Amino acid sequence: MSWTAAQQRPGGAATAPPILEMRGIAKRFGATQALDDVSLTLRAGEIHALLGENGAGKSTLIKIMTGVYQPDRGEILLSGQPIAIGSAAEAQRHGIAAIYQEPLLFPDLNVAENIFVSHQNRGVVTNWRKMFREAEAILATLGVTLDVRSPARGLTLAAQQSVEIAKAISLNVRVLIMDEPTASLSAHEVGQLFRLVRDLRDQGVAILFVSHRMEEVFQIADSVTVFRDGRLISTRPAAEVSPQSAIADMVGREMGLFQRRAPAPKGEKLLSVQGLGRTGVFSDVSFDLHRGEVLGFAGLIGAGRTDIGLALFGIEPATAGQIVLNGKTETIRSPRQAMSLGVAYVSEDRRQLGLSLPMSISANISLPVLSRYLTRLGLIRTSQERDTAEGFRKRLSIRTPNVELPVAKLSGGNQQKVMLSKWLNTHPALLILDEPTRGIDVGAKAEVHAMIGELAAEGIGIILISSDLPEVLAMSDRVLVMREGRQMAILDGGAATSQTVMTAAMGQEFAA
Amino acid sequence: MNIRARLLRWETLLLAMLVVIAGLNIAYSPFYLGVGNIVNLFQLSIEKIIVALIMTLIIICGEIDLSVASVMGLASCVTAWLFQMGWPMPWALVAALAVGGVAGLINGFWTAYVGLPSLAVTLAGLIGYRGVARILVEDRAIGGYPLWFNNLGQQPQFGPLTISIVIFLAMFAIMAVVLHRSALGRLVYVMGNNLQAARYSGVRVRRVKLLLFVASSMIAALAGLLYAARLGSVRGDMAQGFELDVITMVLLGGVSIFGGSGNLLGVGLSILVILNLRNGMGLADITGNTQTSVIGALLILSVLVPNMARMIHTRWKGRET
Repeated sequence: MSWTAAQQRPGGAATAPPILEMRGIAKRFGATQALDDVSLTLRAGEIHALLGENGAGKSTLIKIMTGVYQPDRGEILLSGQPIAIGSAAEAQRHGIAAIYQEPLLFPDLNVAENIFVSHQNRGVVTNWRKMFREAEAILATLGVTLDVRSPARGLTLAAQQSVEIAKAISLNVRVLIMDEPTASLSAHEVGQLFRLVRDLRDQGVAILFVSHRMEEVFQIADSVTVFRDGRLISTRPAAEVSPQSAIADMVGREMGLFQRRAPAPKGEKLLSVQGLGRTGVFSDVSFDLHRGEVLGFAGLIGAGRTDIGLALFGIEPATAGQIVLNGKTETIRSPRQAMSLGVAYVSEDRRQLGLSLPMSISANISLPVLSRYLTRLGLIRTSQERDTAEGFRKRLSIRTPNVELPVAKLSGGNQQKVMLSKWLNTHPALLILDEPTRGIDVGAKAEVHAMIGELAAEGIGIILISSDLPEVLAMSDRVLVMREGRQMAILDGGAATSQTVMTAAMGQEFAA
Repeated sequence: MNIRARLLRWETLLLAMLVVIAGLNIAYSPFYLGVGNIVNLFQLSIEKIIVALIMTLIIICGEIDLSVASVMGLASCVTAWLFQMGWPMPWALVAALAVGGVAGLINGFWTAYVGLPSLAVTLAGLIGYRGVARILVEDRAIGGYPLWFNNLGQQPQFGPLTISIVIFLAMFAIMAVVLHRSALGRLVYVMGNNLQAARYSGVRVRRVKLLLFVASSMIAALAGLLYAARLGSVRGDMAQGFELDVITMVLLGGVSIFGGSGNLLGVGLSILVILNLRNGMGLADITGNTQTSVIGALLILSVLVPNMARMIHTRWKGRET
């Protein structure tokens, strides 16, 4: 195992030779420009942090670097030579490796096999002794003691991360991409991981470090790049960046993209949640919701916002805390029970969890309350189903030739409206909307926003979970900010700005 | 092309096959069109086609029940055993149906409430229920039932029709209404399409699954008793291997093995195709083994043709864009 080591450091980073250069990279998915003319240079012996909100384009860039996606435009240079990265295997051959939040090990293979899994020519008979020896040698250079003969199953997450790093080293890694590697590690394990990362840097590896934890970024990064809406906003040495300036770069978009909803008069208290939690997922969430109020749930992906929704809807019942609905303490154990209490949950994943795609619009809309459409013999009154669907088609202007069409035939925005119809048809008192405008076009988005306003005005209490920060700010009376399963703040309409929400979501001290 | 159009095309294909087979049968055999032969054609497979009706619902729901033939065997063996012990025949029959219900509860509990795949659960049932059946009657053939019981299976009761055929026709009508008009049928399709979406819509998916498995086993038990009445004696290996014929009928009928699509009309046609094919080959003195091979080939075609058509269709579309 060898690699030419020791670019001098520190301070040498900026002048060190570039290893990987991305020039003018663009990538488009349907209507979304995921990356727009992005140029990023990774240098030998440098830890380069990449920051950005959900959907800023970080993952897309990583997938282009690792050969999962092909860019629409732009070029990639490795040590000054233009290269194409057509597949994950090609990325590996170029010495580009990636490590993710959840290590992707084979649980039943032993540590050594996992290290060499993609590139060991085993021949007919595996030379186990040689393989174990080499695996031990690599782990030794990392200063990690692990039994290379034991299966990966049962290793701690931190140990699994070191196996991933050993795997990268065995591939003669020159560029190491770390995508939120610390998200599931304890503080102590993070310390160990960072020691490994610094060692690799000192050996001349270029490291791209993606994390939502500000303090870690500033602890380890040599330079910081911020993405927003698919564009590169800034690249600066870490010493010149403060958490505040980084957050400002991340959110600094034009406000007023959406019309701010006129606050409606608050009704009586509908829902009161005290110390709600589910073991290992989220804890100690407390808030009130009044009739006619829109409470936004902001936070990064994986912060636990959806899990609160699932607990209130009984899909994954809470294990701690209290839910008071309409003044009565309730233990919600199933979706059926939640529905009978007037709770409706519009899922973020309309294809997998929300709709039955091959079935008709009217069958999808009647499904949760099918019993309403039955004759005494238990047969379905299809004409009544159609009438309901026609009503919603007019009310939400669902664009379809008829309501007998399979939902799969509709555009994303119209599918979203069918899902909304399906739950409005249950006449909910509490409506939980999870990412209601994800992946739909601007026009449909505006219609959904108008609908949210109308529903609130009718006195429905709405929880709006959204990763679209301007949307949350425009629609919500108050904003609850989550971070890593904990409730960081509840901001009133006036106090909620992209700056304050993002600051809380990134776990910074909240001054105001 | 939407799914309904594709299914209609599949049923058209089955109908065309049926016409061709019937035409050949008429041309080759003067006996084919006789009432006796037509009744006989149904009567020889009547137990399987009764079970195929409920199997249609199970497979559309995205599950499978491999234990049906063993439950048929178990039900008839329970009856034989109790009858030998001196129980009156009617009580022995009721007990056998109840045993069928218990078998269904076991299948349904492990599948719906524990969450194991029905393939594994009912495979265990296939082995386990057959084992119990063999223990009960050992290596004997138990016969000597009251005459009325044997007549039930062997003598026409309604004009030229036996009670089994009447039960089949009635169940076909009931299942068609349940599957295509009732709330239960709607839920069966929804669950087969997307079980998670059903759960997220507040459908009590576990209860529906349990109900289906209990219905499947009880109908299988009934079919087993009809089989015992027809044969007039019961052995431990009764109906062994029938599950494969039953599943063949359902899949050839255009029901997707992945669940969510298919209908009872297709299964009805596929039953007619298979029965007429076997009958015609029988009249033409083709051996049983060859008959089985032909039906096997038919099944492979039924799975291959729609998938190939879809593949070619998507390739073609991909080329255009």
